[in-house]
Order: sequence, then structure tokens, then C-alpha cells
Amino acid sequence: MGLFDNFDPTLAAHDLVQDLKWDPELRRRFQQDEGSVLDRYALRPAEREAIEQRDFRKLYDLGFHPYLGGQLARLIYGNDVDGAIRAVNKLVASLTGKS
Amino acid sequence: MAELVYAAGIPHAPTLVGLFSRAPSEVQKVVRDSCDALVHDLEAARPDVLIVFANDHLTNSRISAYPDFLIGMAAEHSGPHEWFKPWIGCRDYTAKGDTTVAEALFRGMTRRGIRMNAERRNLNFDDNISVPTVLMDLDKRDVRIVPVLQNTTVPPYPDQRRCYAVGQALADFIRDDLPAGLRVGLLGSGGLSHEPGGSRYYFIDEAFDRWFLDLCCSGDHRRLLDELTIERMEAAGSGGTSELLAWVVVMGAIGERPGRSFGYALHKEFRCGIGAVSWAVNDHAAERR
Repeated sequence: MGLFDNFDPTLAAHDLVQDLKWDPELRRRFQQDEGSVLDRYALRPAEREAIEQRDFRKLYDLGFHPYLGGQLARLIYGNDVDGAIRAVNKLVASLTGKS
Repeated sequence: MAELVYAAGIPHAPTLVGLFSRAPSEVQKVVRDSCDALVHDLEAARPDVLIVFANDHLTNSRISAYPDFLIGMAAEHSGPHEWFKPWIGCRDYTAKGDTTVAEALFRGMTRRGIRMNAERRNLNFDDNISVPTVLMDLDKRDVRIVPVLQNTTVPPYPDQRRCYAVGQALADFIRDDLPAGLRVGLLGSGGLSHEPGGSRYYFIDEAFDRWFLDLCCSGDHRRLLDELTIERMEAAGSGGTSELLAWVVVMGAIGERPGRSFGYALHKEFRCGIGAVSWAVNDHAAERR
């Protein structure tokens, strides 16, 4: 199955990642109190659960855009040169069921 | 009648900057040789304006309102965007823009039936513009930049035939709308094979990459349009390889003419195949149609 077969442009999680990239203050809040940031978005229960569980496979199955998946992984696991390697490995492990 | 004097395609993987020093010497050599050749040709061509087609990595627009082409009309273009800076690991830059040409492009493409969006603000630049800018020192050169950020990953997006038609309209625009004596360069930024965000994040399709580079150099655009399908690019790396559609726009503008590549590098840690092409564009390129 292709990465975009389930793509659902209506997922609120897409806006979450966009806002986190564009708003440093929101990023700080996300790191300190993730739940309060998630509360701001109309996430479906399964969508929120997938984010909280760092379950990218589930998130993709719901229709999350994979490029934003890579960016969400960096927001969670690290966004500098080495942090990105960690984020990639965590993401791939989740997608392949090896996490 | 302006002159189309330069055309090239270059990858923009952030790892080309951030992980360059950790790459094997033979990989570094391909990167250096490619950039040196593109810069050499750029200096020889002396464009006044460089229109850079590069995909947007969901950096400027929400998925719910995602433009297929977004022209940056600012007088200057600064980057990288703050969130992308540590990821790329590149220096800050401010490149000269060209509001007049950018406005003309927006107007000219609209009149040719090509839907583009345009913004006057400094767009958010990730690796798309930032990596070519720092690798080629575009901000330190006497050339003005007009960035056109392209949708190559939010379905549905323009396929190879549509992007080629955009390039053909771009050539008409350069020929008919821009002032005589203006020297125009085109740069396609993106690719080669990679799958950002996918389970095959470390997958690089060497056979595809070498096939694509050879095809670019051959100038056989019938094959290009028949064979460089979205399905084939997705198979070579979902969501990333289709960045090569930016190169297709450039090839649509220059028409069938040969190009040169400067080696190919596969380095898994780069998470992207590496190779570049410079096309033989002479001063009569804009007159060929």
C-alpha cells in the first residue's frame, strides 16, 4: 500500500504540526505540557491517541501526511542534525513495527 | 525578448550541508564536483535573474489551502526559516530578490492559463532554497532570485505533463514578457530518490537515479514524459522523489537539449540520491519555439 493511499487532508493533526513549526512559543508549550497543546485542536480520539503513543503507523493509517510525520518526529525527538537522525530512526521503527 | 542563458537541476537534501563533513571522500567529491560545475556554468552565463523552482516541504501553507505554485515576490529572501535551521545546519543568508520580475511572472503565467499564487512576504525557506543558496553562494553573487515553491507532495499535485506545460509557458513568458537584454537563468531544486517520512527513509533507488540523470542528459523529452510518471517516482521513494518535477518545469522551458551530469553518489546517511545536471542553454534558447 502506498504512503498516500489513506491520505486525509481533514486531519487536525496537520495544523498542529504546521503551527508547531511556525510558532516557537507553542513549541515550548508542547515540550512542557503536550496535553494542553493537543487540547487546542479538534483531534479525533484515535488521532490524539496515536500522537500520545508516538504511534506513527496508526497516524498514517488514519491519513496523516508522511512528510508532516517526519516533521512531527523531529518536533518530538530532536531537530538538529543529530536529533534528526534519532527522529528518523524512531519514526522508521514505529512504521515498521520494530519500536 | 529576454534571454534564457542558464538551466540546471540540483538536489537539496539538508544532509548535503549538515552531514557533509561526515561523508566519505568520494561522496564529498561528487557533491563538490557537481556544485563547482553548476557554479562555473552560472558564472559563464551571467544571469541577471535566477528563477528557482523548488518544492515546498509544507513550510508555507496549510494542507487545507495548498498552492501548486507559490511565487516569492519579496525584494530580499532571507533564510533558512528558524525551525529548519538546526536541521539543515546551514548559515543564514539574504539573497537579492526581484519584485518586478516576480510580479511579471505572476501576471504572465496567469494570462497563460497557469494558476500560480504569489506572496510579497519573505517566504519560509527550508532546504528547498537554502541548500542551493549556500552550496552555490547565490546570496553572494550578482544575481537576483525569484523563488517559485512547488507542490510535489500534497495530493493531487501537477504531474510531469502539467509541469512540462508550465515550463513551456515559462519559456513563452521569458521570451515575450520580460525586457530585451535581461539574462534569465532557471534552476530546478529537488530530488533525487528519497522517501522523507516513510518507512523507507533510508532507501535510495540507485537504478532510478542513474536512469533519471541519463534521461535528463539525453534531451529525450518524449521518453521523459512517457516514463517519469508519478507512479514511477513514488516507487523510487514516496513523497520525495517527485521533487524532480521541479526539474521537469526547467526541461519544459528549455526544450529538448542535452545536459551534463557530474557523477552520482549514494550515501545512505544522506537519505537521498545525489547528482546534478547542467543543460546546454545558449543565447538563442528563448527563440527556439
